[in-house]
Amino acid sequence: MGVPAFFRWLSRKYPSIIVHCVEEKGKECNGVRIPVDTTKPNPNEVEFDNLYLDMNGIIHPCTHPEDKPAPKNEDEMMVAIFEYIDRLFNIVRPRRVLYMAIDGVAPRAKMNQQRSRRFRASKEGVELVEEKQRMREEIIQRGGYLPPEEMKERFDSNCITPGTEFMDNLAQCLRYYVADRLSNDPGWKNVVVFLSDASVPGEGEHKIMDFIRRQRAQPNHDPNTHHCLCGADADLIMLGLATHEPNFTIIREEFKPNKPRPCALCNQLGHDIKDCQGTAREKQGEHDEFADTMPASEQEFIFIRLCVLREYLAKELTMASLPFPFDFERSIDDWVFMCFFVGNDFLPHLPSLEIREGAIDRLVNIYKDVVHKTGGYLTQNGYVNLERVEMIMQAVGVAEDNIFKKRKEDDEHFKRRNKEKRKRMKAEQQGPAYLTTGQFAPQALGGRHRPEPVHNARHQAYDMRMQGREQHNKDAAQSLKAMMRNGGNSSAGPSDSKDSRGMKRKAEDSDSEPEPEDNVRLWEEGWKQRYYKTKFDVDVSDEDFRRKVVQSYVEGLCWVLRYYYQGCASWKWYFPFHYAPFASDFKDIKEMFSDFEKDTKPFKPLEQLMGVFPAASGNFLPATWRNLMSSPDSSIIDFYPDDFAIDLNGKKYAWQGVALLPFVDERRLRSALADVYPDLTLEEVKRNSLGSDLLFLGKSHPLFDFIRELYRVETQEGTEIPAELCHGIQGTLNLDDDPILPDKPVKSPIPMLRDISQNYSVGVKFKDPQYADGFVFKAVLLSGAKIPSPVLKPGDWENRNREPWRPRLGFNPNRQQAHLDQSGFRALGHSMNRNRGGGGQYSNAPPPGNYHQGNYRPPHSGGHQPFQHSRQNSFQGAPPSFQPQFPRQQQQQQPYRGGGHGWDRAMQTQHSAYHQNANRERGGAGQGGGSGGGGGSGGSYQHHYNQSRDDWHDRRDNRGQHHQGYSSGRGYPAPPPSRRYNWN
Amino acid sequence: MRGMAGERSGEDIVSEYLDQNPQLSQWVDTFRGYCESNKQWCARREFILRNMEAFPTVKPGVPSSSSLDRLLSLSMVWTNHVFLGCSYPQAVMDKISEMGEGIVVQDPPVHKTTTAGVTAKGKWSAVAEGDADSCVKRAKCGANEVDSRPAGRTSTRPVSQKTGPLPQAPAEHQPFFNRLYKAVAWKLVSAGGFGPNLDHVEILRSCIESCKQTLTCVFVPLKDITGLPAGRTQKEGHVCEIRCQTVYMGTGYGRDEAAAKAMASKEALKVFQGRKVTVKICRRRYKGKDVEDLVLLDEQPRSQGFAPALSYPFQDEQLEDGSS
Repeated sequence: MGVPAFFRWLSRKYPSIIVHCVEEKGKECNGVRIPVDTTKPNPNEVEFDNLYLDMNGIIHPCTHPEDKPAPKNEDEMMVAIFEYIDRLFNIVRPRRVLYMAIDGVAPRAKMNQQRSRRFRASKEGVELVEEKQRMREEIIQRGGYLPPEEMKERFDSNCITPGTEFMDNLAQCLRYYVADRLSNDPGWKNVVVFLSDASVPGEGEHKIMDFIRRQRAQPNHDPNTHHCLCGADADLIMLGLATHEPNFTIIREEFKPNKPRPCALCNQLGHDIKDCQGTAREKQGEHDEFADTMPASEQEFIFIRLCVLREYLAKELTMASLPFPFDFERSIDDWVFMCFFVGNDFLPHLPSLEIREGAIDRLVNIYKDVVHKTGGYLTQNGYVNLERVEMIMQAVGVAEDNIFKKRKEDDEHFKRRNKEKRKRMKAEQQGPAYLTTGQFAPQALGGRHRPEPVHNARHQAYDMRMQGREQHNKDAAQSLKAMMRNGGNSSAGPSDSKDSRGMKRKAEDSDSEPEPEDNVRLWEEGWKQRYYKTKFDVDVSDEDFRRKVVQSYVEGLCWVLRYYYQGCASWKWYFPFHYAPFASDFKDIKEMFSDFEKDTKPFKPLEQLMGVFPAASGNFLPATWRNLMSSPDSSIIDFYPDDFAIDLNGKKYAWQGVALLPFVDERRLRSALADVYPDLTLEEVKRNSLGSDLLFLGKSHPLFDFIRELYRVETQEGTEIPAELCHGIQGTLNLDDDPILPDKPVKSPIPMLRDISQNYSVGVKFKDPQYADGFVFKAVLLSGAKIPSPVLKPGDWENRNREPWRPRLGFNPNRQQAHLDQSGFRALGHSMNRNRGGGGQYSNAPPPGNYHQGNYRPPHSGGHQPFQHSRQNSFQGAPPSFQPQFPRQQQQQQPYRGGGHGWDRAMQTQHSAYHQNANRERGGAGQGGGSGGGGGSGGSYQHHYNQSRDDWHDRRDNRGQHHQGYSSGRGYPAPPPSRRYNWN
Repeated sequence: MRGMAGERSGEDIVSEYLDQNPQLSQWVDTFRGYCESNKQWCARREFILRNMEAFPTVKPGVPSSSSLDRLLSLSMVWTNHVFLGCSYPQAVMDKISEMGEGIVVQDPPVHKTTTAGVTAKGKWSAVAEGDADSCVKRAKCGANEVDSRPAGRTSTRPVSQKTGPLPQAPAEHQPFFNRLYKAVAWKLVSAGGFGPNLDHVEILRSCIESCKQTLTCVFVPLKDITGLPAGRTQKEGHVCEIRCQTVYMGTGYGRDEAAAKAMASKEALKVFQGRKVTVKICRRRYKGKDVEDLVLLDEQPRSQGFAPALSYPFQDEQLEDGSS
């Protein structure tokens, strides 16, 4: 979904939906990589049945990665894709189905967005080259140093579009990959693999949804299938909710905002191309040994648990005293629908609804207000009740005026604050120009060191003087070096980067970046008129035009919802404007929409290429087709501007703005193409045809012999899958023309990978189960579906239970907790103490990320054992409380923690949980020796700890056996040390 | 505004004409796009009607043909250009500006293509004065255009008009420099090859004159040049820039003007040491701004940028006023 902020908003509001993936890494032994055995239980303590890959989310980072060097050629890209899939397979370990879906030809509604992306990509590529060139000249003239320009062919990411040769090759390579893994990887041997390549129409994630929808509508479907969908788009969350499957998890790369990117000119981190100074590269490590390593670690994965999101939504949406019975499933559908107002790939979002401004919360509030009046839900099974939607829209419309005013206020407030912050930062950064050193160094008042008499003052002064001079010399040498590297040409003056005055002025200039002019001024009276005038170039009095826009938008809402719940209603429909109307314009919309045109057909792949590519990417098309994109005599030349305007539309960055591209006239496109169709080669005709999904499986799968038999008897008609052979999955099988067959070697399409001489897999065409025209897929929970155990703390927990609430952080509610025994703690404390030093044993500062990094003060008082510390202190009469003790324990646990992100949260929850325990003990049982009043000594603390731990052991033993497989004793990494302190 | 009267009459004529030909009116209305506003459609309709004769196979009532589609396509090119701010390859632009001549659109929306304002990374361009500049330019050009074309405003919107060399300029100048290349090559052969001890000024001058052109030199005292690196100590001397037929050839520095010219000529002759010379449009600094300039280049990739320009022959007076 075209809302980058959506995921961020969701994960902040509903933090528990995120679980960090535990990934078992392959080990290396004498240079040989030992693959991970994925037949073993999933280290995430959950078993997934089906893994779905939205392949475009994999292809893009593998072909033009942002955080590592780009692959050199297509073969390397393919291998990168294979490795990425392997990695996901290892994390998720699906037991039944692996579904790989590559984007095929998209519905027309999506094509406008694709078109805009591709035109932009092409334009940005050109502009980046230009800017690079310009900055380069400038920097070199100023005497900066830049590495020589590499003449590298830029990978045109536009080739990741159905119909290109690249996509065709990719499909071939994936077939090879699947055959190889099915034949050789034990983890794959019982998995059915579906491959839906770019020749099958539909967006990847929607092909996946179609598969799920069609499976769950047939009687053999297992209602408790655990689905895992891979992809970063926020709309996957919507799609997952729309399935109403109780076990649905999304896996994606961890979202890291503002990841540093190296400057495009000098490849150094820390600045933008705009601020490049062309200074010499800093050494990485003492001997530049880390020169080519990226500082960022490997991207980690997270799970998004939709069942937890459902719990959150249940809390938020449940309404009492409704005039009709409350149905949670339907309120979810309404929530999904309202999210579309805020943004989706097919419609521009309403000007008043901005996700960053809490638009969804606003909508939910309005929804709960209005639902009493509407007398029912907004949607059912993906069909919209427009009358009720109008009531919501009108309620938003009432607030519109205020929203715009508030937006302006916030914006100004934000700017002001930013400016002040920058000022402050600058003031902080400016330390004194010169500091005395050695015994003259300034010392804090009240420090431990008493001032000592000055020794040998003259010598010290001399040293300081010399030091200063040396620094000057170094600076001069530096600028001289830079000059010489640039060939000492006449234009390179001495470097002036050290000139502090010049620097400062520059910084000030960048403060006052010019603001985009905004003619609409939504916060001022008359905004509606100005909006329609500037954006649509019509008067507000032009009621007909306004209604046209509203009607198209209403159609759009219906189309999008239907798309998510029932599949593509019309391949032809699209929103024919660049901007959305206001919420207050949604009046009398009930009659605006009846139904979509039936039996529309998707474009052919090459037709779609003509529809989405700029002329600059014409090299992916046959010559005569390409000619249509540039010739003045072409009858579709108007589709291909070589430059276009971008309306920032109140935003700051070009990529947020609206690309003002003309729309494609389908009739003229088709008739122009009719003339050049005969020019296609056989190969191109093949690429242009619509293909079929494929199903692959290995020798030990129960369905294997069945398919083999189909090939033996050469059945010509489709054959249904016997449900009992394949976990209740249904569909029609057809023989493939060029099949992968057992014992038929598979040739490797990639030179660096070997052929599969011993092939044990079989492939066959697959078609989803078909349903009658007008069949409506029900958006309900299936009977027999078991809702997973709750993760969130019930609101009435305190009233019902005397036990404190234990936060549930992973998939397994009864997960095993890591623990150390006493000797472990001793060993740990011993070695940790040595490295860390006694930087305040009661310090509340969280431990640093790398515990061996020496940014702590060296020990003053020698190494102590942690437990002795507290004891010692208690001898001295300073009663240590439990609280300061706590961070120490945290520090000791550190080596066992799994991911980086969960740390803060885990710490908080543990902290409070710990407090609870401590308080309870203090007030209640009092069994713990001297633990009364203001807190016990360290010794008693330790005593406590042991005792309670024993309790905890007992408890664990009493638990059921079902999670035995996940115990850390079997060589899986220990799970993060959650809830360590909840022994009782 | 001057356009008012013209537009009235233009629109009136069209609607009168359509009133008299209801069939034609009905036919042409089938081409209206769903999302076209009245204003846009009126303009495009006029474009179609005015240019129908040029497409003889286009007749009212004939549903569709490839020549009709071509006309429709060009009409869309024209409206996309006027209303959305799109630009197209030069040949297409020339065609539509000719076809659109005389059609008046009252205050067309102003859109910026990315050349003015937003840069690749999406940041606002750091060159703040660029924006103000283009406004000035727009206004001036608009006025200019109206004056120079009494037939009425053309569709070509002023925004996309830049001062600077025309895109076809390199191609126009290239033949001359091919001749000059040969002349220089022969001259150097007779002088015993390129070297430091030649009279570079004389060689260059005689070659250019043998090709029936003249050399243009611009001299600027070094102290008058702003924007030099601050640490620069040298304050005396002169800088010389050599152009021929507005194409930049080289810059040189010397104690006096003659020495500067000699150095500049030497630099210019260096360009002729490659296998061929090419005229290209390149970006250079001029008076603290980036401008597009015509530059003579050899085929070697340049490791460094050009010296800032001392003169700029592609500038109209308005810009000079506006920027100074």
